[in-house]
Amino acid sequence: MKRRTFLQLLGGGTACLPLLPLLTKPLAASILKSPVTTNRLRPPGAVPEELFPAKCIRCGRCVEVCPYRSITLLDIRAGIHAGTPLIEVENIPCYLCMKCVDVCPTGSLQRIKQTEVRMGLAVINTFYCAAWVGKVMCRTCYDKCPFAEKAIRLDQLRPVVDQSACTGCGLCTYACPVTAADGSKAINIEPLYAREKVTR
Amino acid sequence: MIGLGRLAEDDLPNQKNKGSHYGRYRLVVLGTAFLLLLVTPFVNYYLQQNFVQGWYQSLGIGRLWFVSPLEGLESILLSKSLYWPAIIGMLPPLLIALFLGRVFCSWLCPVTFILEIFDRLRKAFTGKKYIRNTILVAKSVLWFTLIAELLLSMVLGAPVFVVLSPPGLVGREMMMLVFFKTFAFEGVVLVLILCLELLTRRFFCRSFCPLGALLAFIGRKRSLQVTAKSANCTECGRCIRVCPMGLNPQKGEGESAYCWNCGECVDSCRFDALGFSWKKK
Repeated sequence: MKRRTFLQLLGGGTACLPLLPLLTKPLAASILKSPVTTNRLRPPGAVPEELFPAKCIRCGRCVEVCPYRSITLLDIRAGIHAGTPLIEVENIPCYLCMKCVDVCPTGSLQRIKQTEVRMGLAVINTFYCAAWVGKVMCRTCYDKCPFAEKAIRLDQLRPVVDQSACTGCGLCTYACPVTAADGSKAINIEPLYAREKVTR
Repeated sequence: MIGLGRLAEDDLPNQKNKGSHYGRYRLVVLGTAFLLLLVTPFVNYYLQQNFVQGWYQSLGIGRLWFVSPLEGLESILLSKSLYWPAIIGMLPPLLIALFLGRVFCSWLCPVTFILEIFDRLRKAFTGKKYIRNTILVAKSVLWFTLIAELLLSMVLGAPVFVVLSPPGLVGREMMMLVFFKTFAFEGVVLVLILCLELLTRRFFCRSFCPLGALLAFIGRKRSLQVTAKSANCTECGRCIRVCPMGLNPQKGEGESAYCWNCGECVDSCRFDALGFSWKKK
């Protein structure tokens, strides 16, 4: 084999490498699927998911500025969402310091008040929650909630979420001692607002 | 002059050793810019100092923000709305490209730094300073790349090549390494560019870099140009050999949109036939 042919093959092979993970799943679905699901949220102030991948330029400054290392960066395995920020709340939740909002150069994260953040909504799984099942008098989520008595109240010693005040920061999910077999907690964050249509 | 020790002894008329060292300055600037990308994630992660932040997709120095023109343009095109901080962040790079041309590519881009080091390493091992360019594509493919990239992004609704744009990729990989102790998978693109460098000089930069294409388009009527004085030219062809973009500076191609003002040809010219000039409009 000539050296030139060898190098051309080498170059061609390397070019095809990024396509490998795409072949393992149905192509279009894996490229376009949004990574935002239960407990997988965008940083605070994010525009709806419909607009987010278009607006975000993947500069990673929110990741660099986050003092809690809550924000992680997706790579090419996330398809067109590669390079966008994501918070995995059961690993490290968002402490709502709002520093990422200050540095976002494209307005993908918009300047809003802490109390108006809607990253998602905490939803209690009453079949797993120790207080709801009646196993123990657990009130960890109530204690850890940054808006206690507003976002999470105790109703007959059982936690109840108020959707008018819950920011979806995930502190409750992070603190929840109950983990189900599928890895979810007894209280999970559902990114309801990310699925909203852009109204403007 | 750089690397001309042997050939400069030729007894040629009109020989002037004006000794420009753009190549040396350029390496220093490239190295400093690369060092900035290398150090920033460490400072951000370990010292929690966010004064200097980001990389060449968006660089923040205090309250001064730079936004890469390509990424900013795509953000505006795809979201179909204007966001003033992004537009103001795009202004400094736009003005630089408008007056100085594609100087980001040749004087700041981390990929160019890696390739310059690669060139020097290859020279040390093989003794040959330049390789023969084996894959040549028309230079106008550059515009096709830019248009195709913008169209594809607009169809998909996400800026695709923002993730794959090599200047940003180097910064992202450094950041991933420091923050998550891993490399992003798309870094393979950088390896590919390095492989292509074995076949043709600056193959990717010449015709497939969308950011370079946009900067070239903005700077096609730039003020800073490499101009040829045909009176001094002996048509020795040195400048053609050293030009990383495969241009012919002695025929005035230094004034074309494809020139990135690196100054290699000015360094190489022994007869003062090439030089930077500031064109007033």
